[in-house]
Amino acid sequence: MDEKKEFTPSIIYGLCSWCGTGGSETAGAMHLQYADNIRPFRVPCTGAIDPVYILRALIEGADGFAVSGCHPGDCHFDSGNYRARRRIAVLKSLLDTFGLDSERVLLRWVGHGEGKRFADTVNEFNDYIKEMKKNPLAERRDT
Amino acid sequence: MIKGIWVEGPVKKGVLDFLNGLLAEKKIKAVLMPAKNKGGDSYAWFLMGKDRLLESADPVPPVMTTQGANVVSYLTKKGPVWEKTAVLLRPCEYRAVIELAKIKQVDLTNLVLISFDCPGAYPLEKYVNGDPEELDESFEVCLGGVVELDGPRNVCAICHRFTGTGADIEIGLMGGEGKGFWLVPGSKQGEELLDGAVGSESDNIDVREKAISDRTIARETKRNNTLDSFQETVMGPENLLNTLSACINCHNCSRVCPICFCRECYFDSKALSSEADNMLQRAQRKSGLRLPPDLLLFHLGRMSHMSVSCVSCGACEDACPANVPVSMLFALAGRNTQAVFDYEPGRRLDEAIPHTVFKFEELKDFETPYIKEYSKV
Repeated sequence: MDEKKEFTPSIIYGLCSWCGTGGSETAGAMHLQYADNIRPFRVPCTGAIDPVYILRALIEGADGFAVSGCHPGDCHFDSGNYRARRRIAVLKSLLDTFGLDSERVLLRWVGHGEGKRFADTVNEFNDYIKEMKKNPLAERRDT
Repeated sequence: MIKGIWVEGPVKKGVLDFLNGLLAEKKIKAVLMPAKNKGGDSYAWFLMGKDRLLESADPVPPVMTTQGANVVSYLTKKGPVWEKTAVLLRPCEYRAVIELAKIKQVDLTNLVLISFDCPGAYPLEKYVNGDPEELDESFEVCLGGVVELDGPRNVCAICHRFTGTGADIEIGLMGGEGKGFWLVPGSKQGEELLDGAVGSESDNIDVREKAISDRTIARETKRNNTLDSFQETVMGPENLLNTLSACINCHNCSRVCPICFCRECYFDSKALSSEADNMLQRAQRKSGLRLPPDLLLFHLGRMSHMSVSCVSCGACEDACPANVPVSMLFALAGRNTQAVFDYEPGRRLDEAIPHTVFKFEELKDFETPYIKEYSKV
């Protein structure tokens, strides 16, 4: 049990600059606490996240990768989030095909004002990855 | 639309006569098809025309050297062909041409696509290093669709889309038992070209349809079973990396792949080259680093980019110098990713590639539902 507590997963969080990051700002404004071991990074749109970025993070040591952007219909670029969803669907089914823990990739829309939803998502995913333990790919040297 | 024309006689000669006829009548101006090398040990694509086809032209070659879709893409890279040109393609090549036409890498204007019931192909290495004459002979026997090809490539053995459905003209070999073949029109253009072709109006085409449906059912089962048992051998990081361990990062598989059309590939780009310091850090973290790096990233990344359009032609495996079962990996990945969108590459021209379709509501299974509340406001 102690061992499990010590494991701090490293989680990358891709946020779009219109909604996802807005959600994190609102969470800050509302003084909501969320796990501090996530590493957010900002992209112009979730549609700009190529599955290769997610794969690279997972192969090089990340234990989880979350993506949040505008709700369907809200995308600043009209259809970027639909593209992201399709790409992540392909990626997840690929990871499933080869037994590489597709649950390590999370997709959930977070609007600009949804600070609580953002904080909850971070905490939930953090707990989930803690349960899953370390990403086996991160320790493979022959990748 | 006429159902088909039955042409009696040896298959290859019959097809060549038909094409020569079209050339002589000036219905088409040129033909793009494979022809045997002078040395007799391999095939290459030739654009032929004028009065007659090349002597060594072979409409149904026993190996796939260059993927036909790549050749067509070369031909129409700078715009459409000006005059009617017939192209002879394997079914998988035909499907790749359709995929490329969707992403504007092939211009179908003035092209007449002709495909045939494919018995499969030998691994390129086996043919080039083996005894071509002997292999040619045993290939010829399989043309009628009665006998299965002996020792084909892995993906050919489990190919369930072995007819050129949708092509302008289909050369129906299945059920012909080698005594002849059907010329089946698949479009208005095909029908016009078949008008006046030598042969008899066919009433026995049901034989072909029956033979096709029988083999399709058998192959679909075989495909699923083979891929399922293959999947077991590559599940999990350990198995997958062991399967890929022979890879020498030459990227040949992506270079010969018709679907991998990008002129500048991400995996060949500067984005993946990093300083020694970076690699040392990675080596520290992983207690060792395989060089050149990014082996798994390349294969999985490539799958995420193009597996929905993968036509399972097996060009990748033919090009692999290290005998990595790339074509099987991609067939497996393609089967599962295509199933997400109920998409089949090359089925129809008006069916858009999934990555280019945007829908408001779909794929709910891939989002994580928000049900658990943590923080209190």
